Amino acid sequence: MALLRSVSLLVFVLALGAQALTPSHYLAASDVDRLQAVLSQPFTDLKSAYFSIVGLSKLGVSVADSNDACSFIKANLDSSSIEALFYAAEASQALPSCEIHVSNETRDLLHAAVSEDSTVSQIHQAVSALSSLGLPLASQEVVSALKARISKEDNVVAITLALQTASRLSQQAELGEILEEIEDLAARLDDLGGVYLQFEEGLEATALFVSAAYALSDHVDVEPPLKEDQVIQLVNSVFSKKSWDSLSEAFSVASAAAALSNNRFHKPVVVSAVGPATVSHSQPLLQLQVTDVLCQPLSSADVLVESATSVTSKAAILSQTPFTLRDGIFELNFMASKPASGYYQFSVAVTGDTRLVANHVELKVKVSTKVAINNMDLSVVDKDQSIGTKTTRVEYPNKAKASFIADSHQNFAMTFQLVDDTTGVELTPHQTFVRLHNQKTGQEVVFVAEPDSKNLYKFELDTAERKTEFDSISGTYALYLMVGDATLENPVLWNVADVVLKFPDEEAPSTVQSKNLYVPKPEIQHLFREPEKRPPTVLSNTFTALVLSPFLLLLILWFKLGANISNFSFSPSSVLFHVGHAAMLGLMYVYWTHLNMFQTLKYLAIVGSLTFLAGNRMLAQKAVKRIAAEQSSRLAKYRSLR
Amino acid sequence: MSHSVVAVISRFLEEYRSSTSNKLKVIDAYLLYILLTGAFQFLYCLLVGTFPFNSFLSGFISSVGSFILAVCLRIQINPQNKGDFLSVSPERAFADFLFAHTVLHLVVVNFIG
Repeated sequence: MALLRSVSLLVFVLALGAQALTPSHYLAASDVDRLQAVLSQPFTDLKSAYFSIVGLSKLGVSVADSNDACSFIKANLDSSSIEALFYAAEASQALPSCEIHVSNETRDLLHAAVSEDSTVSQIHQAVSALSSLGLPLASQEVVSALKARISKEDNVVAITLALQTASRLSQQAELGEILEEIEDLAARLDDLGGVYLQFEEGLEATALFVSAAYALSDHVDVEPPLKEDQVIQLVNSVFSKKSWDSLSEAFSVASAAAALSNNRFHKPVVVSAVGPATVSHSQPLLQLQVTDVLCQPLSSADVLVESATSVTSKAAILSQTPFTLRDGIFELNFMASKPASGYYQFSVAVTGDTRLVANHVELKVKVSTKVAINNMDLSVVDKDQSIGTKTTRVEYPNKAKASFIADSHQNFAMTFQLVDDTTGVELTPHQTFVRLHNQKTGQEVVFVAEPDSKNLYKFELDTAERKTEFDSISGTYALYLMVGDATLENPVLWNVADVVLKFPDEEAPSTVQSKNLYVPKPEIQHLFREPEKRPPTVLSNTFTALVLSPFLLLLILWFKLGANISNFSFSPSSVLFHVGHAAMLGLMYVYWTHLNMFQTLKYLAIVGSLTFLAGNRMLAQKAVKRIAAEQSSRLAKYRSLR
Repeated sequence: MSHSVVAVISRFLEEYRSSTSNKLKVIDAYLLYILLTGAFQFLYCLLVGTFPFNSFLSGFISSVGSFILAVCLRIQINPQNKGDFLSVSPERAFADFLFAHTVLHLVVVNFIG
């Protein structure tokens, strides 16, 4: 129930009013319980004890066993550590009767920590410890130390701690400058979509800022410079997370919640409906929960409906009507004003405390009702209207005794009225369907029944005209009336009668093929690509022989011309050349059969360069021989001429 | 008409037989061989079809390329053309012929599939 309520609360969307934002995230009762459970975990060390004890005290809950807690603190206290003193002092202050005795050395240690040389965190811890232990401290010194440190440590966490420290100081000290830091820090908040306002350092920093800002503002009695919308945005940010990663995060959320629910200036209000915002004759009360951020009811507040208007007709039903408080829930008997069924826009105002923020809320309320079907008349009318109609009246929820027969010359007609069960007002629900279901074939056809100007519903079935919808299948059809609407409590499915329809000719197949989409389809056989048709081997072989035959011719011709290799000189270069050349040709063949281009190029480079060098040498030798021969022949010619 | 054609042809053949050196005749025989090889490949393609088209192309291009290179060699070797090819000795022409053939055969074998 609490979960359902929190879920509905979370899903609850509040219209962004023209004036102000309302919280979209807040702690429901279950969230508060969960926060408490997190903070009630057994202590592991002094720090966790501090978070648990002080956190629970902020929620207004006391620790399970305070004596145990007190002895735990005393046992784990290390008097030489300022941090430990801080945790112990704060925790003991929160427990009912737990006193920690400190020696003079400890006190001097704490006083020494208040200087410009310590970090803001150390100053904060020292000052808080001194304050909680009831020891005197020099506020002005603290102020000057803080001012000096703030200018050096300009981050969000440090300034927040400074604010928190200042709230523990004497009111006579000059806290004005530190107070201004609230405004500067608020300017650093990131606005996310107009809904959230948070530091980029995260949830914990934002929550601690909220608690520190309100602590200091309350202390000096100066309103914090936060606009109402900003306060609500901070509420959304801090309470957007409903389960917390660490104890420190839970503690920061508890501090912020305590600060927001109990400070002198701003008190955010959370208004939500108990369950769905619906009223009806059986449940005539509209119940609202009006709480602060810690889900504590605002019993002293006055809740008022400023106006309630119907969404459809824009007529105002209520104006300035108060809610009555009963058991922490604000109630209003809306049905007493006899609203018609439908949706209503409520504008609710919560007053009674000047601190209240986001106290104007818009709410959408549904009024639902029960429907009754009157004057259900069924008849079979002849098209030429020569035979008088015979009307049969059927009472809900009975079924007509006789079935109606309509063939292609007749129309089947149905009229009825839909009225509100209690008030008798005519209704026009969203869904009024007439369904005809053939029991044998499982076919169904649905039509819409339309109201005329007097809100009388009529349905006419022209057998000849509508035969395509029925696939011209004659037979007995069960007739159902279906009525439904969001504002109806009792949707209707009523088997009114059986209708036998006779269609002119059986054009359709005698058996209706049930459109079953999920049967296995015929298997597709994959056709692999047919290899191309090759010519017969004989032909190929013939042409191979033909193409190779000119080589024979060449050999014959060369032989006839007398080409020979008698001049072959067996010099190393020519031998190497011919071997290399033969190797290159062999490489071509191997390339065709085995290798790829890269490998071939590699081998070709090696063999080719060898062949080239050898061939170069060989041809040079030949050239020398040729030139010598030419010269000697020229010489011989010259000599013979002479 | 045909009589004169025959006369021209026989005269040409007679001239050829007498005036061309043996070396050139050797190359001419080679040219004839290449020509016939190419022609027979083309004939096959016309009659039977271009089924392994890449093979046909590579074979045909091989024939055509070899023919062209051999013609170049013949031109460069011919002593009557010496004036046009002062920087190219017959040996150089032969070396070019071999190199060009290597490249041609590389491409042909790559494409033959």
